[in-house]
Amino acid sequence: MFKFFKEKIKNWAEKISKHGEKETEEEKSEKAKEPRRIIIKETPKDEKRESFLEKIKGKISKIKISEKEFEVYSEELEMLLIENNVALEVAQKIINELKEKIAGKEFLRKEVENEIRENLKEIIENILVEPFKIVDKIKEKISDQAKEPYVILFCGINGSGKTTTIAKIADHLKRNGITCVLAASDTFRAASIEQIKKHGEKLGMKVIAQDYGADPAAVAFDAVKYAKKNFINCVLIDTAGRMHTAKNLIREIEKISKVCKPDLKIFVGESITGNDIIEQVKSFDWALNIDGIVLTKADIDEKGGTALSVGYILKKPILYLGTGQEYNKIEVFDKKKFIEKLGL
Amino acid sequence: MLEKLGEVIRKATDKIANAIFLDKNLVDSIVRDLQRALLEADVNVFLVKKLTDKIKQTALDERVNGIEKKEHLIKILHDELLGLLGETKKLNIQKENRIIFLGLYGAGKTTTIAKIGNYFAKRGNKVALVGLDVHRPAAKEQLKQLAEKNNLDYFIDFDEKNALKTWKKFKPKLKDYKIILIDTAGRHTLDKELVDEISVLNKEINPTESILVMPADIGQAAKKQSEEFKNILNITGVIITRMDSTAKGGGALTACAETKAPVYFITTGEKINDIDEFNQKSFLSRLLGMGDLQSLIEKIRSVTDKEKQEKIKKQLEEGKLSLNDVIEQAKSMSSLGGFEKIKSMIPGLGNAKIPENLLESQQEKVAKWEHIIKSMTSKEKENPELLKKETSRISRVAKGAGVSTSEIRSLLKQYDMLNEMIKSGSSMDIDSTGMMNQKQMMKLAKKFGKFKKMKF
Repeated sequence: MFKFFKEKIKNWAEKISKHGEKETEEEKSEKAKEPRRIIIKETPKDEKRESFLEKIKGKISKIKISEKEFEVYSEELEMLLIENNVALEVAQKIINELKEKIAGKEFLRKEVENEIRENLKEIIENILVEPFKIVDKIKEKISDQAKEPYVILFCGINGSGKTTTIAKIADHLKRNGITCVLAASDTFRAASIEQIKKHGEKLGMKVIAQDYGADPAAVAFDAVKYAKKNFINCVLIDTAGRMHTAKNLIREIEKISKVCKPDLKIFVGESITGNDIIEQVKSFDWALNIDGIVLTKADIDEKGGTALSVGYILKKPILYLGTGQEYNKIEVFDKKKFIEKLGL
Repeated sequence: MLEKLGEVIRKATDKIANAIFLDKNLVDSIVRDLQRALLEADVNVFLVKKLTDKIKQTALDERVNGIEKKEHLIKILHDELLGLLGETKKLNIQKENRIIFLGLYGAGKTTTIAKIGNYFAKRGNKVALVGLDVHRPAAKEQLKQLAEKNNLDYFIDFDEKNALKTWKKFKPKLKDYKIILIDTAGRHTLDKELVDEISVLNKEINPTESILVMPADIGQAAKKQSEEFKNILNITGVIITRMDSTAKGGGALTACAETKAPVYFITTGEKINDIDEFNQKSFLSRLLGMGDLQSLIEKIRSVTDKEKQEKIKKQLEEGKLSLNDVIEQAKSMSSLGGFEKIKSMIPGLGNAKIPENLLESQQEKVAKWEHIIKSMTSKEKENPELLKKETSRISRVAKGAGVSTSEIRSLLKQYDMLNEMIKSGSSMDIDSTGMMNQKQMMKLAKKFGKFKKMKF
């Protein structure tokens, strides 16, 4: 993730500070040229002779980046973000925030690069909500109300990896001493029930299922009931992949949510999705009020921009990253590490 | 859907056409809008820059002037957009076809194979589906269920865990089939084990076509993926899935054009018929709201069988239509993928503002009509006028079908309208080659234009 971004962002920040140097020299040779975009405070404009000393002085002097100047550079940063799969809408918002922080302020030239980086880091830190630990949440609930299971509902579009993610999370919970039951509420796609049943077999977990075409809400309800009766800690509900534009299907998942009252609603998205991720999360959030996000296929993605897009739009935490086919290929999303990887 | 991108491009064209003078400010604002829209459609950053630079350059070129320049500019915009989409190439069926499908996890390979199988089987080919996804749980069951549902022959070994062995086992039996579609496990190009597996398979199978399946919502990663898959295997074509919903497919479509892998099909939903041949020109025409009658006709042909067509044609010629035909029409409409999808193909209707739920409720209505007609006597079915003359019949039918009388009246209205349409216009001839000429298309477009005012 963010393989190239790191290097590029460094170059970009460097460029801004270096570009200032060039401007200085240019400025001296064509003094008359009026509104300069970068104003070098300590270099008097009417200096007639150039000396070596002045040049050095220019390098350590303060610079101010005007709004206009910032816009010239920001276009480049915008492209950089977009190239790394940050959605356009989000890239623009990040840049606007950066502009507010930087434009019109004075910085020591040698610190410009650092300042920009620090500010960008701060913005991204604000975008990403600190994730909570599902395991803690579950333990909290089951110690409180002894008999009520913790219910997690998974949603997302077709092929985003819901079932695989459920299997991975179930395995993760099992390792933490939490008992789980799986609900095969995807009663639509061919062989979806068989798929989750196979996972159940491998994990040694009960799968509550009915036939294809059954009411998914009923299956989920049964699973919750089963969990209550058998003192199982957690219910994981698999739902059919649905396009966020299919209104009746979105209504269906609303119904599932109403019927089984999940404690946690997780959106499963792909980390390689482009701008469409925004539409996806918006619609699901509107219908369900999502609590957390899992981004799958993170092993394929080297860009990582999708995490920023979703984080910005939803203001909800990213909980896990799916990184492969095996059960252990799931990472708890580490905000600090993620930002480090960005090179900030 | 693609409306937003289409709108921006249309607006840009309008702006150019209506401008008195193309000054720098105007060009800049047009270029900026275009850039935004294309980037939002996930088109690769560099391609976008290339395109808009070219537009800028042409616009500010002072050698050409006036109206000529505007026309020139609009033409360049269209040409460049078309260029972004690459060349049109059809998936040609030969004497023997071994088609292997690959792609990332969850791109939709298995569903697509069933669609393609159905597509070619309907066109009279002997098709076999082979399941070589030995990794994902229940992948084989999925293929089996899809094949059984659509009456396609399948070869799946549920116990074998080695794809190569499975292939070798079935190879002799597959000789009788003209088209062999091979499902493989989802993989990405960095996983060495899976890459090795596919290379070995590829050698053994020696496919006539290797098709990459890619989702439409893929972002800037599209180019890299298509490039890498192309490096491992000789990808001969691409199918883009999930083209319904809000994804614009810009990433996938342009990536394919760039890596010179032609897009054969796009798929647009979960039903078996939700697959279209991809044609750059039709796609652009639809994008720009100019409709795409050619695809509509092709689609109608693919879902209605010949006998029914003949029958309806005959009745059309006689100018007589029974209520059963109304239902038949409405039904084939919904197997085309519903009104929503057809809307974009009809010129003029793509831009028409039809409330969304109106189209949905229309589909519900059609379902009710069927019940209504079932409650009628055969006499009434043939001569719906009877119902209007003797209104007691209406209340009887309403009771039988469990609907209100107003719903029956609306069905009768629809019938009248369809009848009138047939009487007023000469029957639309489609000549032996199945192609419509330009004039006929215009005529039809006009007729559909009237449709807009129609109340559902």
